[in-house]
Amino acid sequence: MTVIKYIRRVSADLATHIYDVPPRMLASLILILMAATPFIGILELRRLDILTHINLVAILAVSWDLLVGRTGQISLGHALFYGIGAYTTAILYQYFAWPVWITVPISAIAGFCIAILIGIPCLRFKGPYLALITMAFPLAIVGFLYYYRDIFGGETGIPRPLPGLPRIFDKLLPSQRIIANYYFSLALLTISSVIIYKIATSKTGIVFVSILDDELGSKACGINTSKYKLLSFAISGLFGSLAGAVMAHTIQTNANPRYFFEKTALIPTEYSIVPIIAAILGGLGTIYGPIIGVYIYYLLNNYIFEYLIPVDKPIKIAIFVSIIIILIIKWPRGIARTIVEKLEDLEEPREVEEILKERMRKNKPEV
Amino acid sequence: MLEVIIIEGLIIGLILALVALGFTLVYGISGIINLAHGAYFVIGAYIYEIIRQYLSNIIPLEYYYLTPISSILITCAITSFIGSLFYRITCHHILGDEVAILIVSICSCIVFQQLIYISLGKLNAFSFRIEPIFPGKIKLINIELFAGQTIAALVSFAAFAVLSILILKTKTGKAMRALSQDVEAAMLMGISVERLYTITAAISSGLASLGGIFYTASITFGVGSYMWLTALALSFTVVILGGLGSIKGSLLGGLILGLTQIATMKIIPGSGVLQDSIPFIVIIVILLVRPKGLFGKRVEIE
Repeated sequence: MTVIKYIRRVSADLATHIYDVPPRMLASLILILMAATPFIGILELRRLDILTHINLVAILAVSWDLLVGRTGQISLGHALFYGIGAYTTAILYQYFAWPVWITVPISAIAGFCIAILIGIPCLRFKGPYLALITMAFPLAIVGFLYYYRDIFGGETGIPRPLPGLPRIFDKLLPSQRIIANYYFSLALLTISSVIIYKIATSKTGIVFVSILDDELGSKACGINTSKYKLLSFAISGLFGSLAGAVMAHTIQTNANPRYFFEKTALIPTEYSIVPIIAAILGGLGTIYGPIIGVYIYYLLNNYIFEYLIPVDKPIKIAIFVSIIIILIIKWPRGIARTIVEKLEDLEEPREVEEILKERMRKNKPEV
Repeated sequence: MLEVIIIEGLIIGLILALVALGFTLVYGISGIINLAHGAYFVIGAYIYEIIRQYLSNIIPLEYYYLTPISSILITCAITSFIGSLFYRITCHHILGDEVAILIVSICSCIVFQQLIYISLGKLNAFSFRIEPIFPGKIKLINIELFAGQTIAALVSFAAFAVLSILILKTKTGKAMRALSQDVEAAMLMGISVERLYTITAAISSGLASLGGIFYTASITFGVGSYMWLTALALSFTVVILGGLGSIKGSLLGGLILGLTQIATMKIIPGSGVLQDSIPFIVIIVILLVRPKGLFGKRVEIE
């Protein structure tokens, strides 16, 4: 019994004291851990590509979170920006043969501009309607990719002659390249999530949250809400297409319609759905949540289910998505956020307990 | 040429309107954007074909017309049950939270897609051919039309009529209209929200499966488990065109969309791949020209 009591006390202490650690230090600790991953030997080296992929999808998820969790403009078709990034960089390589270091930033900017172009007609809609119209966008674009086969290359995508796009670290050996890719993606994730966090906590970010809370009210305060909604959409598009462009140069080597929509895949619009699932798992509107969510999703899919419970992939996805449905219904504030809030709450009951004990001690009738 | 476009467009348009009808009905009555609509569309088509194959061995050949009719009725019953059950165990608990409902229903589409894959295998999950409801062609003023499509269009028109009567004339319909106007006041009058919303979900999923059967039987490559996306894109376009939550509006929107689709297919050669994109361009153009929607309604939610 004493052991259990001791463990409970220690865990309670730990739980309260974890919260004393400044969040920046916690974040940098996690970052150091992630940076050390290739050397600890948890993973086989070739599996590091999975982590690179996770990092890039995490950028997409974070940008989705800025748009949805902070501004309240629901987009169910974020794969659109992912694909736009990949296609822009591929087109610039195919037809102008520009180097990687120019095409990737340009495709990020292209994502920004296209987001503005799309946003002007689409942000007239509110709430669920915006969600639906954005969901249909990737679908519509795929039709054009097939129709203008000469330019966009149809199913196989561009660039046409193999081996496709140049990789970012072209001069390194394949084994070194995997590590370099991982660090590059990690750096990119860190930088872009810090930038998005800064935006979200800046004055502009506060305006975004005000639109989420009460659009009419913020309009009444003299805020040009359409401008800020458009800005949020555009920033989100910028980072989304940055992730897509880097993806086309590291893990994939071409841009194909699969970025938008794939009929034969188990989840036809994977890059639209995964950010949503991740943000729900991690907690909507927290910038750190989606990153954790993406890691949970892919690591569960790739490791836990593969080694511990070996089942077919569709069964895996069905189980996973059902769990998410249950989570949304029963635990609607996200796993990461709920845990953080539980940690915050841990302090209070302890204090109350102590106060009660003190009172009991005081009120004890002295014999 | 023109009369071919008009008549085929009207037929396809009626089918498209039927696809969107359940979607707009649920929105109009309970204010839920139920993306699981696409899943019922797909499930309906699959169940229909499986039941039809089974029944065609049982029912003797001289009563061949009984096969599609009975399998359509059975399919509608099954999907209505699935739809109401799904509504009751998920969406009912999160009423009022739009984001949560959107995400739950899109997740449910994915779950249903995996279930189809698990139960029927990869090949069938990707492409599953649906036989035309009635074989053969009929002639109407020297235009040849597929009999199955024409009957589907007539049935969907009938479905519109029946639904309008249900909502305007019966007591249940009155209660539904009351709920769509003011939930709290309706509850005070003794209307059971749970019961009526479940009935609405059942009707809408039945209509979705009906639309799924007709739509997939009218296209050549049949149904695929990914087509919930297509169904959602189509129904959303129709709803935007005609006005949200309005039954007449969805009929009009469907007709416009059908005419546009057929006209594009006939005029621009090789535009079959653009089938999913056309509705979308229609929306964008209309948004740019008339920001408040086609019929002057303000296309947004309060």
